Amino acid sequence: MLDLFQLVLQIAVILVVARVVGFLFQKINQPQVMGEMVAGILLGPSLLGWLAPGVSAALFPPASLSYLNALSQVGLVVFMFVVGLALNPSELHGYGHAAVLTSHVSIVAPFCLGGLTALYVYPRLSDDGVTFTGFALFMGAAMSITAFPVLARILTERGLVRSRMGTLAIACAAVDDVTGWCILAYIVVLVRVTHAGRPAWATIGGSVAYVLIMLFVVRRILPAFEREFRKRERLSDDLIAIIVVLVLVSALATEWLGIHLLFGAFLMGAIMPKSPEFTRYLLHKFESVTVVLLLPLFFAYTGLRTRIGVGGGRAIWLYSALVIVVAITGKLGGSMFAARLSGMAWREAGALGILMNTRGLMELVILNIGLDIGVISPAMFSIMVLMALVTTFMTTPLLEWVYPTRLLRAQVDEVHAHVA
Amino acid sequence: MLLVGLPVLGLLGILDAGRSLRAPLSITGEWTVELDAGARCAAGPASPRQPALSISQSGSQATIALYDGHAAMFEATVEGTALTAGPLSATIAGQPGARTLEGTLNLEGCGPVAFRAVRQTAKKGGT
Repeated sequence: MLDLFQLVLQIAVILVVARVVGFLFQKINQPQVMGEMVAGILLGPSLLGWLAPGVSAALFPPASLSYLNALSQVGLVVFMFVVGLALNPSELHGYGHAAVLTSHVSIVAPFCLGGLTALYVYPRLSDDGVTFTGFALFMGAAMSITAFPVLARILTERGLVRSRMGTLAIACAAVDDVTGWCILAYIVVLVRVTHAGRPAWATIGGSVAYVLIMLFVVRRILPAFEREFRKRERLSDDLIAIIVVLVLVSALATEWLGIHLLFGAFLMGAIMPKSPEFTRYLLHKFESVTVVLLLPLFFAYTGLRTRIGVGGGRAIWLYSALVIVVAITGKLGGSMFAARLSGMAWREAGALGILMNTRGLMELVILNIGLDIGVISPAMFSIMVLMALVTTFMTTPLLEWVYPTRLLRAQVDEVHAHVA
Repeated sequence: MLLVGLPVLGLLGILDAGRSLRAPLSITGEWTVELDAGARCAAGPASPRQPALSISQSGSQATIALYDGHAAMFEATVEGTALTAGPLSATIAGQPGARTLEGTLNLEGCGPVAFRAVRQTAKKGGT
């Protein structure tokens, strides 16, 4: 039974800790979202549950977590819509060879290394309820993701969105995200079909029909919202409610098809009209409550499922180190190598690799899906969460070291002068 | 083409090589436990309560929550078809979709009792 007092208390504690840790992380030049992710871990068994198990058990009793999870999932549905909304395929145009090569290699290299790592960790951290193919593909997808929203935030906070490297990183991250989510959708179908006994053709056929309907029917209706916005410079509450309902229906359709709730929300955002004013308006409408209230709940729920260093002994730390090294080598190394091959200077290519290595929040979303469908074990989940935190944390200091802000700003000025 | 094509071929090789790998038997999930019909608690004439198991597994390591009136948690190890934990030792049998445990369970106040457990849901997740 729902204990409203407990739920509200949990939300209040989570929000306070998230804001405080986020603030402290900003003080050390980290994005706020990095602090919020760490706050979630601090509230879980990795710290609070370890230091004060009594307080942890009283504040977050297992029976109460389903409500927290439900709220965080609603937040994720809206957040994935926002991520899709912020994606703009036209951003790839004009970056030609460098963008195409870098984005492809930045997916393929970590994907293959992830698969290779699976050969070692599958017999040690998985079980026979999961096929090697499902496990290896998931590891590959989880290694190859780039946190498009966190990357955009880091670039914005450093004033680098309009730099050559910044725009290239955003374009590549957009391609990576779309590809990563397509691969993940395939993995979810693969795993759910195996477990649920649902015929594969029903899920695959239904998914193809759903995508075609979204692209060729729903996408043609959506510009009506943009026209209304242009006419009145705002959307009425009724129209906003219709957009929310469309997002929810799309999310329910993909969940019903056996893919996952979040794919539908993401695709709805991706096919929305992309004029900058309209996108900015919708982002403003949807972002605040999601980012301030609901995402910290997701981070906390993730933290409560994460047991960094708890159990497993020294071996777990060795597996963690292996996964982190492989993830960085594949993503940072692969992107840097491809960017260099396409003609960028070493310093610029290195900075691009560092940016592409930011996994952040998107990684946590994918890992939670993996844990929910059972393709990764709780220990593997904790290891990958640690990897996500490390790769996100290292972005800002490493970028400052490889490509100091003064050099990047000079490049931005150069681009502005060229445009003028 | 080379930078993408070669790794993709490599990945296909990895997937092929991985098919021969064997991971520990899966025991994750919620289990219902049937105790030996003749079991009697040493402390009294009543039959012991029907306990339930909830297992969370990572490779050969597992955490078992045993509910028999009150909850108890303990660490367990899977080696081949053998499951060993504090008060429990059992043999794992059946395919992942219809897995069973058979062995002995040390219930508080009852001593070792033979049991058979059937997995109800292979529920995954860390919480």
